[in-house]
Amino acid sequence: MHRTVPSLPLAPSVKVKLINAGFQVASDLTDMRPLQLCKEAGISQEEAVEVLQMLRDDGQPHQQRAATESLTALDLLHQEQALGSIVTFCSALDDTLGGGVSMGKTTEICGAPGVGKTQLCMQLAVDVQIPVCFGGLGGKALYIDTEGSFLVQRVADMAEAVVQHCTLLAEDTEQKQALEELTVEKILSNLFLVRCHDYVELLAEVYLLPDFLSKHPEVRLIVIDSIAFPFRHDFEDLSQRTRLLNGLAQQLIQLATQHSIAVVLTNQMTTRVSNGQSKLVPALGESWGHAATQRLILRWEGLRRLASLYKSPSQMEATVQYQITVQGFRDASDEHRPTPDTSAVSSQLGNHSKRPRTEDLS
Amino acid sequence: MVILREGICPGINEEFIKALQSEDIKTVEDFVSCNPEELAQKCSLSYKALVAVRRVLLTQYTAFPVSGADLYEELLSSTAILSTGNPSLDKLLDSGLYTGEITELTGSPGSGKTQVCFSVAVNISHELKKTVLYIDTKGSMCANRLLQMLQTKTPNMEEQMEALQKIKVFRVFDVFSLLACLQHLRSNGLQKASVGGGSVKALMVDSVSAVLSSLLGGKQNEGMSLLMQVAGELKMIAKDFNITVLVTNHVTRDGNGHLKAGLGQSWSHVPRTRLLLQRVEDAETSSLRTATLTKSSRQVCHLVEEFDLCHWSEERRTSISGKRKLEERSKP
Repeated sequence: MHRTVPSLPLAPSVKVKLINAGFQVASDLTDMRPLQLCKEAGISQEEAVEVLQMLRDDGQPHQQRAATESLTALDLLHQEQALGSIVTFCSALDDTLGGGVSMGKTTEICGAPGVGKTQLCMQLAVDVQIPVCFGGLGGKALYIDTEGSFLVQRVADMAEAVVQHCTLLAEDTEQKQALEELTVEKILSNLFLVRCHDYVELLAEVYLLPDFLSKHPEVRLIVIDSIAFPFRHDFEDLSQRTRLLNGLAQQLIQLATQHSIAVVLTNQMTTRVSNGQSKLVPALGESWGHAATQRLILRWEGLRRLASLYKSPSQMEATVQYQITVQGFRDASDEHRPTPDTSAVSSQLGNHSKRPRTEDLS
Repeated sequence: MVILREGICPGINEEFIKALQSEDIKTVEDFVSCNPEELAQKCSLSYKALVAVRRVLLTQYTAFPVSGADLYEELLSSTAILSTGNPSLDKLLDSGLYTGEITELTGSPGSGKTQVCFSVAVNISHELKKTVLYIDTKGSMCANRLLQMLQTKTPNMEEQMEALQKIKVFRVFDVFSLLACLQHLRSNGLQKASVGGGSVKALMVDSVSAVLSSLLGGKQNEGMSLLMQVAGELKMIAKDFNITVLVTNHVTRDGNGHLKAGLGQSWSHVPRTRLLLQRVEDAETSSLRTATLTKSSRQVCHLVEEFDLCHWSEERRTSISGKRKLEERSKP
């Protein structure tokens, strides 16, 4: 191993003692016994054992390979073509995203209150479960709710609509067979829900995700709705917030890449005043903007809801219109005026919409 | 700091080392900075033996000075300039990316840093037929996009596949893996990569701030050291193997709301050249970007050039401000 001692993942105090004792390279340490190391470097017995254990693990083939194995872009191309994507049921948005929300990347959805972020997240949590023979991924979903805006009745409505959609599409026997198992109860039971009340719980949950994912390898989507809420109120030290968020972002992209899952985050908007003008920008600061791989901004324009792809490594920027219906997240209809049965959620199912109940439909 | 161990030079054996350790001399530096006469009196070692060992150690471990003229000759013969493929960027970078140096791209999210890295990688692997190493820390490597770019350059499938095979991707997500990756490359990875693929001429790290920014500031005391280690590894790789290193960095806003590159003052000394990418406001095509030269040792700073992400190899219309006549330079 050609690792230098300062670059090893050990506690700084241990490293200082090792360097002062003259150890420069990891290979200097590999032949030492714990007691010997203890005496020469002046570190405690447990620390010496820890150091040697870490070096031994590092030398293992699978660990080494993670950092030193390279794929050619050609291999990566084959891998990407084999991964699917999660449809949003709004075909214009799916086209913009290149088939849907991509696997193996983190996607951030920003928007003002009431524009449809949680609706889109719930729709994705249902869509990821569409069976493979219908063109979906047939996976489970993990929904981390920090705002308390997750409503089971709404997900049940969306699940019902998806089942009906698949029933209309089913042609051959394989699809009919899969359809028998696809019920609203099954969809709800494949959705894992976690409620986090503050940022500490959220950080702990993300820390536990690798174990969770190894126990449930069928999970293909993780939704965090929203990541902004716990970090925006009650945080005195803004630079600490930035550091925590950056660390969180790296953990999430590592999970997304290693397990080939899609990670969807929701963010809120804030106002930035510059040159006497104010405009809405995504919250959590400038450096958070670099954290997610893809960024989708949802906004209002009059009575229309628009979605813009703001940042993506593979797709061009575009803006499309969408709407929220009883069935969920859908393409915008061609009519100018939103009519009562296709726009805001119908009143029999309760007030699920954040828009005022009495809309001016003139 | 080299530890004194038996066998590093003839004349040093176990008792020699034990005697020295009783005087608290553990490394070569401690040994050569002591007076041999005093040492001979304190330990029970012969003066002649001490002087002989000291002479051998000094010849083994001192650094050799090199004259400036030799250094210049070596630089002229080994530096290469890699064109980015985009004439506006080449103008800003004084005809391209220089090997042996680190160039940095900064910009807000969505300003095109990753796209510029892709375009440069595709240009180097396809036009110049050299291998590119791409270290991805943000999951933004998208081989489909590389294929799209290659398809605009050539309709031949075989050429596209060949070019894709010359781009090698490493995916690391934290600073220790990044350091492991860079150290592995420095020790034997680069030779391995160049076998059967053409020599390695470029290393890209996208992005270096994703792994480092969470370690800087607050009560953490290791962030700076890791930042400097990464900088050291990148510079050594660039210099020893004659490759060009391209890194991307994020931007933050300072007190007045102006954009500045991330990772602070210490990192700002690491790259030789820095470009700031920005979107063009209210442009009819959304793929227009401007690149501003914010740090350079060859050109006047604050030159701005406009370019189009979609039409990489085409000349854009006249630059916005500050054109300087490029003198004819004799290239190696």
